[in-house]
Parts: sequence; structure tokens; C-alpha cells
Amino acid sequence: MNQNDATVGRWLAANGPEADVVLSTRVRLARNVAEVPFTHRATPADHEQTIEVARWALADSGYMDSGKFLEGDELAEPQGQYLIERHLASPDFVASKAKRGFYVSNDETTSLMVNEEDHLRFQVLASGLDFPEAFTAAAALDEKLEGQLQYAFSPEFGFLTACPTNLGTGMRASVLVHLPALVITREIEKVLRGALHIGLAVRGLYGEGSETKGNFFQISNQKTVGQTEWEIIETIADISRQVITYERKAREYLMKKLRVEVEDKVFRSLGLLKGARVLSSDEAINLIAGLRLGVALGIVNEVNLEQVTRLMVLVRPANLQAMLGEKLSAAERDERRATFVRETLVHQ
Amino acid sequence: MKLCDLCGKSEATVKVSQLDKDGKVTEISICAECARQRGFTEVEKLKANVAEIITELKNRIDEGDSKLICQTCGLSYAEFKKQGRLGCADCYVSFHDQLVPLIRRIHDAVQHVGRTASGGRKQAQQKMNAHRLRQALSGAIQDEDYEKAAALRDQLKRTEEE
Ligand SMILES: [Zn+2]
Ligand SMILES: [Zn+2]
Repeated sequence: MNQNDATVGRWLAANGPEADVVLSTRVRLARNVAEVPFTHRATPADHEQTIEVARWALADSGYMDSGKFLEGDELAEPQGQYLIERHLASPDFVASKAKRGFYVSNDETTSLMVNEEDHLRFQVLASGLDFPEAFTAAAALDEKLEGQLQYAFSPEFGFLTACPTNLGTGMRASVLVHLPALVITREIEKVLRGALHIGLAVRGLYGEGSETKGNFFQISNQKTVGQTEWEIIETIADISRQVITYERKAREYLMKKLRVEVEDKVFRSLGLLKGARVLSSDEAINLIAGLRLGVALGIVNEVNLEQVTRLMVLVRPANLQAMLGEKLSAAERDERRATFVRETLVHQ
Repeated sequence: MKLCDLCGKSEATVKVSQLDKDGKVTEISICAECARQRGFTEVEKLKANVAEIITELKNRIDEGDSKLICQTCGLSYAEFKKQGRLGCADCYVSFHDQLVPLIRRIHDAVQHVGRTASGGRKQAQQKMNAHRLRQALSGAIQDEDYEKAAALRDQLKRTEEE
């Protein structure tokens, strides 16, 4: 995750189940250390101690052998933005003024934030729709950590969190889905309403409040109390399977009834990506999303799903600069982004 | 205030993606009424749900709320209502009766089911303390402060016996 680095996390390999529609599965657990005030009310000494405890716990459970721990200046910009773009850290964590610690595994599937809103927030990302993989790994880390430190827990409320919205399991489980055909056929609201009806949350790719780019949607649980982890996961997985079925049907319909229009959209995306000399991050993401649909439908064969999926991360500003090993102005970035994308697509 | 992209009259509160004639997807912001007409109500309602509960908390701070204080961390219930975050694990005991209806509203349940904490063994904390003591001990020996070194050695022994 350093300079001149064009590698991306293993979860972006686009080789998981249902990868034509589902980009990734994420399981995040929130935990607090017993007898230490929650992050916003803790002293700098508490913050430091929590970081130390987390680091020791990770080292003693062997996680440090396959990952690294960052703190202090190592988390300063542009590193923070870089981690957000890679879906490894939250914007709140990066913006926080408190002393923080951060662990990430070498394959970028597991990451842990120390002193976010809760003392410990860790997540596992898996490619495609794969809760068994993501949850099993998250639960394993949970157990290892608990072998080393004592969690704030009550038999009534479960794992205690700074905000009551995360109480109980402390778990947010989510899937990131690409639904271009449902957007084009205007079925998207109808389909996503099913998820909302049963109390799940749906939002755009780049997190809460931000606009949906490229027709990527995240489906996650809102409620964390009163259901077991697997019950929550089954609910999201069921809805995801429905959404996948609808999206595939809509893609089939488009290929039957509007083939020329779909091909036009896909090849225009490919053409612009291969020909543009200036590309903003947003435009690139939208075009890459269009291309991804073409690859998933088998219209475009010259690139594969993994290459397209990787591009989605690598074109974002902090990642682009890290990969090129240079600090660039916005205008320079747009130019270098276009060059990078063109070279990737023309000479792969 | 941003006006609705569809009717241009009321305040836009809902963001939706729209497809134009050329198949290009754009983001538009629309008002609650236009959202309702187009079947976006559920999206709006759900998004508002948790945020609404938090806003309601903020707007209804009673006199008694500032007298209700967590003995462990010193946070008052009024402060919790203002910022939406509790101060420590014991706040869940201190404000138990106030929190139960709130938790029920957010989650439709109060009783946790699922994974439980096994009690933990605090190994990391102990090891970390021992490590720090050992560091301080070697520092004291280097400084030839034998009195301090003896005290640290005792402390280290106690920590390891725990
Ligand atoms: Zn309107
Ligand atoms: Zn408290």
C-alpha cells in the first residue's frame, strides 16, 4: 500500500460468488474495551492505551505477521484518503483528531480502526456475495481479540457501543451491488423498496449522504439488537439473491429488446476510456461502471471483470497519486488518470 | 434551500437517480410530495427514521436530564441527548430506564441475542503493562537508580502473578 503500487485488495479480484452483480461483501464489528470511557470521552492517555492494547492483541494472535499497524503521522493525509478510497477506513476515522491506530492485512481483506467512534471497529471484505467467508474471518478476529482483552458487554444489551444504534451484535453486514440494468429499466426503486420494507438500509457506493455514482448500491442492516448475527446475514443474503435475480432478468431484457442501446452505452464508455485525454474521477467511475456492465454481459471481451473492478479503486485521486508516486494538482490528475486508464485498456 | 428539480416549488429532500432520453443517469433532488407521487416514500421514511429519533432527542431535553449523571464517566443524560453518544459502558446502567424505550424504537427489540462476550482474559493489557515495566526497569538499571529498579521489579512480579 505504498508508492508506485498498482496492487489492490484481494476482495477486488471479482472472483467471488455472483461477481457479475455483487462487488463485495463486508462484515464490520464494533467493540469497546471494558473499563475505558468511549473514544469521545476518553483522555489522550486512554486513547494511547487502547492503541497499545489493540497492537499487542493483534501481535499476540499472529495478525501482525500478515499485516501492518499504522499510527500517528502514518495516518496523515494523503494516507487517510487512500484508505477511504480502498474501503478500508471510514471518513469519520480519518477526520478524527483523537490519536488513532489502524491495522490492515497485507491482502487488504481485514482492517481494524482503533479509536473511531468505538474503541475497535474491524471489518472483513470478501469478493462477491460471500458472507460465510467475511463473517467467519471477522468472528475469528473477534475471538482472538477477546482472548487478549475484555470487551464492554451486558447480557441484556449485548456489546456496548458509544451510539445505541450499534448496540447488541455491534455488526453491520453489507453487500455492494452493481445494478445498472435495474436503473435503466426504472425498476430500481421497486426492487430496493423490498429491502427497505424489511428494515435494511440502501445507499450509494460512497457512503452515507453521498450521491450514487455508477449505479452501485450498498445494502446493509440497520438494526443490530434482537437478531443473531446469522439471522441478520440471512436477511441481507436473501434480499441480495432477489436483487441479483431481478438485475439479471433486467439485463436479459435489455439484451433482447434494447441490445443496440446497451451496446452503444457500453462501447461509448469503452471508447471514451480509451480515447479521453482528460478524465475526472467521477466521470471515470461512471464510464468504468458502463464498461463493467458490458464485461458482465459478455459484450466486451478485451478486458475482464477483475481489471475493470481494480480500475474503480486505482482511478480515485489518492490512489492514483500513490500509484504514480507524485503529488498532483486536480488538473494534472485528470490528465494522468486519462493516460493511466488508456494505457491499461489499450495494452493489457 | 435547494428547490425540487421536478416541480421547482418545494424544498428538495430526496435524492434519486434518473435516466434521461440518451440513457445517461443523472442525480436529481426532489421534494417529499414529488417523491410520494413517484413511489419514493419508503426510501424517504426509512432514511428519516434513525435521524428523526436523534433529532427528537436533541429537541426534548428536560430539566431532570442534566441532573441524571453517570457516576463512572460524569456524562449527564442531557449531554447524551445532545450528542447522541454515551460516555462509557456504565452509562447503559446509569440511564438504563431512559435508554430502554429508545433502543426499542431504533431496533424494535431490547434483548440482545447472538454472540456473547466470554469475559476476556485481559492478556494484552497484562502483557503490555509487563512490557512497560520491563522497559522502565532496564532504564532504571542503566541510570543506576537501584531503589527505583527494586520497586519496579516488585511491581513486575505482581503483574506477572495476576
Ligand atoms: Zn417537487
Ligand atoms: Zn458513563
